[in-house]
Amino acid sequence: MKRIGYILLLLFVSQNFWAQERKFQVNGDARGYMFAKNMLIDPALDSINAPRANYGHTLLDLGFSIFPNANTEIISSFRIRNELGGFWGGGVSFNVRQLTLRGVAGNVVKYNLGDIDLKMTPYTLYNFQEEGSINEAEIFSLRRQVVHYDMFYMPGNTWRMQGAQIGFGLQFSKFLKAIEFSGFITRQRPTDGITIPERLFGGGTITWKQNDHLSFAFNSISLFDLTRTINDSIRYKNNVNTFSVKYRNTINDHIDWGFDAEAGSSNVNYINYVNPLAPDLQNDWFYDASFTLNFKKPKILLNLGYKDVGADFFSPGAQTKRVDFTKFPGVFQQYTNAALGRQVNITDIINHNAAYSYQISDKLMAYDVAYNNINPHGIATPNRRGVYLNAERCDSVKFKRSFIQIAQLFESRGMGTNLKKSFTSIGAGTDIRINDFFGWKRELVFNFGLRHDITNRGGEVFEKINLASTLVDFGLSLNIVGKLDILLGAKYFQAKGNEFVTLRNAFNTVNNFQAVDLDITETTMAAGLRYKFSEKNQLLVNYQNHQLKNRTTGGINYGISQFNILYTLTF
Amino acid sequence: MNKLVFYTFLALFFLGCRKEDKVNFDGPSLSDSFGPFAILQDLSLNTYEVDFSAGQQVVFSMELSKNTNWVIEIEGENSGAVRTITGNERILSIDNAKWTGGANQFPSFNLEKAYITITFPNETDSPTILDSVLITGLKQDEGFLITSFEEGLGTTWQQFNQTTVAGTITCDPALAAKGSCFYSWNGTVGWDWAIGSVTIKPPSGTFGLPSNANNLFFNLAFKALQNVGPQNSFLLFWFDEDDNGDGVFNLNSEDRFIFEYWSNTLDWDLISRKYADLKFDADGAEQTTNGNGLTEPSKLISINVFFLANPNNGNAQAFADHLIFTLNEPYQP
Repeated sequence: MKRIGYILLLLFVSQNFWAQERKFQVNGDARGYMFAKNMLIDPALDSINAPRANYGHTLLDLGFSIFPNANTEIISSFRIRNELGGFWGGGVSFNVRQLTLRGVAGNVVKYNLGDIDLKMTPYTLYNFQEEGSINEAEIFSLRRQVVHYDMFYMPGNTWRMQGAQIGFGLQFSKFLKAIEFSGFITRQRPTDGITIPERLFGGGTITWKQNDHLSFAFNSISLFDLTRTINDSIRYKNNVNTFSVKYRNTINDHIDWGFDAEAGSSNVNYINYVNPLAPDLQNDWFYDASFTLNFKKPKILLNLGYKDVGADFFSPGAQTKRVDFTKFPGVFQQYTNAALGRQVNITDIINHNAAYSYQISDKLMAYDVAYNNINPHGIATPNRRGVYLNAERCDSVKFKRSFIQIAQLFESRGMGTNLKKSFTSIGAGTDIRINDFFGWKRELVFNFGLRHDITNRGGEVFEKINLASTLVDFGLSLNIVGKLDILLGAKYFQAKGNEFVTLRNAFNTVNNFQAVDLDITETTMAAGLRYKFSEKNQLLVNYQNHQLKNRTTGGINYGISQFNILYTLTF
Repeated sequence: MNKLVFYTFLALFFLGCRKEDKVNFDGPSLSDSFGPFAILQDLSLNTYEVDFSAGQQVVFSMELSKNTNWVIEIEGENSGAVRTITGNERILSIDNAKWTGGANQFPSFNLEKAYITITFPNETDSPTILDSVLITGLKQDEGFLITSFEEGLGTTWQQFNQTTVAGTITCDPALAAKGSCFYSWNGTVGWDWAIGSVTIKPPSGTFGLPSNANNLFFNLAFKALQNVGPQNSFLLFWFDEDDNGDGVFNLNSEDRFIFEYWSNTLDWDLISRKYADLKFDADGAEQTTNGNGLTEPSKLISINVFFLANPNNGNAQAFADHLIFTLNEPYQP
């Protein structure tokens, strides 16, 4: 009660400060999230594991922004989380979710200290999207946003890190327009004082803006161990240096065109490691160049490019995956009478049941070949080269957004054989405002997404690969009355064929392959009601049924049904 | 400027092309793991007559087309001893496929012909490779051999047998755990569990074992043939230590550590126990002895091997062979 009193007092005081001098600002997010889940599996297959799971939480992220002077801001966010069933303080946790100092020094240098969100280029530092969605329904994306929010996967593909960041720019009146500098240093891992050295991650960009059309940038980033933080001389070091160019110009009044390119190299050193498996030096290079045509009426964006990323190009900041597929999901971890570990599926990722990354991995993380075999480590996935085409139509009245994504890639180095795999990916999606077609006032939006990936390799019977996977997303949102919407969503995923899963040792070296045969389908159907109190405040009540059919020999079929309530408030 | 950008792109596209790597690939060859199975080089042995006592060994050499499970089984013609060597490598060589004369368990190999069989359990329709080698010398044991009953009863030994029991040394290479001879009990004792015993003593003094009980293992081959089972028959050992060093064991003032081992199979069984553990009984409780209570193998003066069997089950029969102490690990037959 006393605590609530303090909070109310703070709120009152802050509102006054904010209103009068703008020196104090309070914001935050509140959430209630409750699940009731049932494991649907043949009792003959599983009679030992509990088939039901009920859990949930309420939380409040209370953020304070303090402006001590015109050039400084202190941002803090405190999380109070109460697990469902943890009455009277049991299950309650208090955490500092963010503490950042930022401002402008001498009206020249911008700085950030503490918790900072960082992004550079897709080949240096970039938090790429996780698996399992292509223009998915709102009933799924609302829940996915909760995961993104909790894991700091902010829009713009940033990584949340702890450290310091500075930036400043110089403007010129002749010869060039401006030069901008930015840099950061973050702490990735503390030392244990014995065997694990402290690890830092730092980088920076120098951008040369020649004029309004042309700019160049030099990007450099490094993940490295700090010497003398343990009583051993072992040290890991990864450097990535790239050069990028961006050009924009006009062909005529209706069409703009542009050129983007980035090229660079990486090197990895395992210094003074006695393990013979540790390579002395690994280096490789990449380039990625694309032309863009921007049609103004209708507004269509075409992007055609070619990339070649070397097999030994390692850029941890750009290749770290969000989902760790080696970990079992948080709910129904074991199933069957043999207590098998259940693999992460598409809805586990949406429901915050998977293990997510919050640090940069120095190793290429394991991935599920069924969900993404084309670019499993993002745009910077090593050992890929080929062409890609992206087309997007934006801001049409009836078609809110439509896109097509096509890629034809190849390995540049074989995996276990001299023959190379080929990868074909075709994706498309659209949001259609059906009400605009018929002139209805109440919003009725249909969204659709499709992605079809094919992996092939020829050769002898034992090395042949033929894997096809398809992900289809359907969604419908209908405003039925006032602020009440009906949300419907469906996901269909199918993977069929064979692949050899690449297994890597602790030093990123391929040391084996696991042959896998796949014949699975996942079907997820969801229906719910959403009440929008306001744009920043909504309540979602939904039911979802997920079925996984595994038709391979010994495969386990199961399903998970769930009822959940999600209340979100941003203030 | 447009031309500059265009030519930059062209230069990147054509000059930046990576050369096709047709030789190297990442990871182990898929052919080695998943390719078709074939024997690229037939089995060859480095010798067809082997004297293990001279430190010789049999090396199996063979090349397969892929990494796959292989099993080499060697079986003694007369002893029935078996040695199995397994692996998964594509190349069989001295690194992974050599035989130094040991068996998986008792019985051990004799001077005999040993038949070799190589199979590939994961490869359907794969051939079975057969060969043989003649053993002209046996593997040298490492340890402190007390007796393998090859030299007859010791002059200081004592025997006890019930009147209806035949208990003595028997020689038959086909039946022995190692060598030709072993100790045998055979008889029906309807009135008592005690069948017979043999007390093994050195000709004089102690057995000359090292003093550290923590890395010394007692080993004996045991085979129950009748009245077998964990409720039916067992060997009872008395380890008598001469604590005061007077050359005589006195039960009232010196340590006797007792250990029992119940029979459970009809095959030769290796009884092996760390000497330091002899002071604990079957339940893990420390035994009460009348001496200093320390397990001191250097003071061991006699070992009594006593065969007992359930009197209600009729005839009881058992063999014992090859009593040996080893350092650091149990005996390897």
